[in-house]
Amino acid sequence: MVWLALLFIVPLAIMLSLSLKTCNPASGVCYMTWSWGELPHQVSLYHSQFITSLEYAAAATVVDLVVSFPIAYWIAFHGGRKKNFFLMMLLVPFFVSFVIRTLVWEFILSDNGFFMTFLRHAHLISSNFHILGTGYAVIAGLSYNYLPFTALPLYVALERIDRRVLEAAYDLYASRREAFQRVILPLSIPGIFAAFLLTFIPAFGDYVNQQILGGTSSTMIGTVIQNTFLVTGDYAAGSSLSVVLLVISLLGIWLYARVLGSRSIEEYL
Amino acid sequence: MSDNNNTGASYEGIDPALWRGLTQPRLTRRQALGVAGGGIAASLFLASGAASGASLPNAKVGNPTWWKKQKLHHTVNFANWPLYIDTLNGKYPSLEHFTKTTNIKVNYFQVIDDNTSFYAKIRPSLAASQYTGYDIVVMTNNNPPLGYLMELGWLIPLDHSMMSNFNKYAGPLVKNPAWDRGNKYTMAWQSGWTSVAYNSKQVKDPGDSVHILFDKKYAGRVGMLSDPFELGSVGLLALGIEPASSTEKDWSKAATLLQKQKSDGIVAAYYDQSYIQHLKNGDVWVSQAYSGDIYQANLSAKYKDLVLMIPKEGLMMWTDNMCIPLYAKNPKDAMTLMDYYYSPVTQSVVEYYNDYICPVPSAKQQLLHPTSWNKAALASLKPEIGLPTTATADSPLVFPSGREAALTKTYYQFKNQEEINTWTNLFMPIIQGA
Repeated sequence: MVWLALLFIVPLAIMLSLSLKTCNPASGVCYMTWSWGELPHQVSLYHSQFITSLEYAAAATVVDLVVSFPIAYWIAFHGGRKKNFFLMMLLVPFFVSFVIRTLVWEFILSDNGFFMTFLRHAHLISSNFHILGTGYAVIAGLSYNYLPFTALPLYVALERIDRRVLEAAYDLYASRREAFQRVILPLSIPGIFAAFLLTFIPAFGDYVNQQILGGTSSTMIGTVIQNTFLVTGDYAAGSSLSVVLLVISLLGIWLYARVLGSRSIEEYL
Repeated sequence: MSDNNNTGASYEGIDPALWRGLTQPRLTRRQALGVAGGGIAASLFLASGAASGASLPNAKVGNPTWWKKQKLHHTVNFANWPLYIDTLNGKYPSLEHFTKTTNIKVNYFQVIDDNTSFYAKIRPSLAASQYTGYDIVVMTNNNPPLGYLMELGWLIPLDHSMMSNFNKYAGPLVKNPAWDRGNKYTMAWQSGWTSVAYNSKQVKDPGDSVHILFDKKYAGRVGMLSDPFELGSVGLLALGIEPASSTEKDWSKAATLLQKQKSDGIVAAYYDQSYIQHLKNGDVWVSQAYSGDIYQANLSAKYKDLVLMIPKEGLMMWTDNMCIPLYAKNPKDAMTLMDYYYSPVTQSVVEYYNDYICPVPSAKQQLLHPTSWNKAALASLKPEIGLPTTATADSPLVFPSGREAALTKTYYQFKNQEEINTWTNLFMPIIQGA
């Protein structure tokens, strides 16, 4: 509890109060001005970046769910004694620093990188087609970087499914497909829920992928917040934006929990 | 300097040679920056209250009587940017020589990698009237924090009686500069240009104008800097306006031009230091660029095609300035060190490693014909640098010739916080607009 208060509640309270203050960028002195107007003002300035972030984070989460479900399924059901090895293989690339991994994507997707050169030589793309600097590159980077956050909760959910339930389904003449649809999928929903949150929320506030892989038309809100703190040095505006980001995320989680139910979220988060 | 004097360095624990090998042939100072700030200095009267009118906290320090009372403590704490001083096997030859001759121990901290965030780190101490832990800090003139420090009275005025080397050897670009008239608070450490660079393999007809950045021929292949002060300044140059004497009206014209450049699809992206990688990869053909980066890139045969343009509209020159923060414990030692770096002998060693614009023009002769301890120091650095000292001495990027010097422009000096806000509100939306 002490740690929760110290490491979570206190910083949050500081951020909330800072968002209502007015700061002098030179002396760093902040006065409480209760400027609630700052919040809608920031939203009106940056609503399109919020929307871009939502779109990219949603796209990346969907990609991750689609890609990692078969992986998690295969490891959970067919991994056998080597399960831990396969899980390890899934995680090994993520021992490398986040930024370095993203920079490698920049290298891979660059116009003269081997991937694009190969596609061009194979006449699969035209010579002025590029991925780097577009929203697709950002989504690709986000998907890659947050993949384990999707795969692991899914794996935990699938691994927990009692195999006898599956056998019972087959005994009752369910086809493999029906067993999947009516037994495995519903039982993995809490895992999907956790995977969605663990991927979507950080991807929504991400600023690294956009800065390294994005172009001029794909600014995400994380980048704006970073610039507000580090370039403009306007802590109050930066905090306001962070509060808005937080509120949007919380609202999203709440709505999502209403729809899907939060019965067993705690088990997975 | 022994290694353990290097405490607090950002790259502590990493062999500097390895660090450099992992990054660039030689990582330049600017390359080590994440988000480069931008922007401005000089007389700022500050928005929302604070300090204006009332006597400044440094009102009683830095005058001749105060300086007379100061004594040497034989130690000095120096905060600088990473990879910005002659370095050999984790040691700093010029600092070692300083300690040997003056008996002043130097604790060298490579802790500054961004003006705004470093300022945010020392600010709480200054606001509480406490020693920041540093006797010398190095801040860039095209960036608000240096102006904030001056305006808030958080710097100690320099002792001009201890600046004999500076008075004798400092070059015209850094003597009595626009951002610190009379060098009241600062002495330059190094300077650099922000200009335009292109890849001569892809750009056959570059011309000599910054308008190349706005050429539809290169749509999607143009890199611009994500620093609002660099971006705005090149916009002004393109309009034929002197940034230093521009008005708010000019700024909005520049913003319109740059917004159009973006909506026409000419800009590939707004880059921080990463633009150089994109130039090298060939994704970007033309880009705003820092002179030091292009010099460094050219050292490798692979990137000989990158060319730094000297545009007829001008070269923006930024300067990193040494200054003494208020409440410094060892101001006299700091003065001694700062002036030591204005000896052409010392500067020749620093510049052989750094390749930025040298604040001491006569260091060129010392590079060609070393006359003192620098002879041995330059020779020992040579295997690490891999180039003859003549390469540095003859580079117009290190010792600008008359033409480059004449084209050198300074940044607009913001007069108050409102102006800074106006500027950033004009140019930040271009950089981070959706």
